[in-house]
Amino acid sequence: MSSTNTALNGLIEAARLDAEHVFSAPWEARAFAMALNLSEAGHFTWDEFRERLIAEVRASDRIRARDGTSDHGEYYDHFLRALEKLLEEKGLAPNH
Amino acid sequence: MSGDHHSTDESGPAARVKALEAILTEKGLIDSAAIDAIVDMYETRVGPRNGARVVAKAWTDPAYRKRLLADATKAVAELGLAGPEGGHLVAVENTDRVHNLVVCTLCSCYPWPVLGLPPVWYKSFAYRSRAVSDPRGVLADFGLELPREVEVRVWDSSAEIRYLVIPQRPKGTERMSEDTLAEIVTRDSMVGVAKVEAPRR
Repeated sequence: MSSTNTALNGLIEAARLDAEHVFSAPWEARAFAMALNLSEAGHFTWDEFRERLIAEVRASDRIRARDGTSDHGEYYDHFLRALEKLLEEKGLAPNH
Repeated sequence: MSGDHHSTDESGPAARVKALEAILTEKGLIDSAAIDAIVDMYETRVGPRNGARVVAKAWTDPAYRKRLLADATKAVAELGLAGPEGGHLVAVENTDRVHNLVVCTLCSCYPWPVLGLPPVWYKSFAYRSRAVSDPRGVLADFGLELPREVEVRVWDSSAEIRYLVIPQRPKGTERMSEDTLAEIVTRDSMVGVAKVEAPRR
């Protein structure tokens, strides 16, 4: 439990230092905006995207609960992976 | 081969996003100006200041408070607040007896039109995994100790429903105007991990 507490305390600290900063790197902002833009243009619904995001978050949670590591990345890593997978499924931006 | 997690220039997220943007632009699916506009919107215009206006109005206008509790989506639309992820908004009110706390255990559902995008801790495993099972412990991490007789209600957000906490109006603010009150309402208080403090004189 104490390691989880420490993890949350660290995040709270960070949040206080940088109160309203929503993206921690420019690529996070671009990924977010692309996903929203594509969904608003009707290429997929936000619910479709959210399903993929939830799956990525769940996979990462499992690894974290088991190993205590964050090897699977942080939130926007999940976000980006979900977006890449959805675009590939839709045939919009095949990986190569 | 153990290259999976290495962030080399080509496989790192920044490079992948750049490549994705290039492909999507080339296909005419997005244009960079629209992407810039969305980034600007969520970095500077859609944020917790919007929710603070809603809370301050609810504190000073009993009829508005009633409408907000009855149908928050409609009530925030009165202030011009609507948009993605604002579909079904529910306002929950803190009192002397009840304290409300909001989480999204599955991912990051959050009421964008009133609070903007969620902070890092809201999306963290530590918060998502403990808010339901140990809400008082989480609140203590945020420095908020509640009397035992206060009931803590935890609301798990979903694709369908988003929550906005109406924090308690602090004592000593009776003479403050709605606009001044809006300045003291914090994001954390509208998620339920903090109280609003009266400004020190």
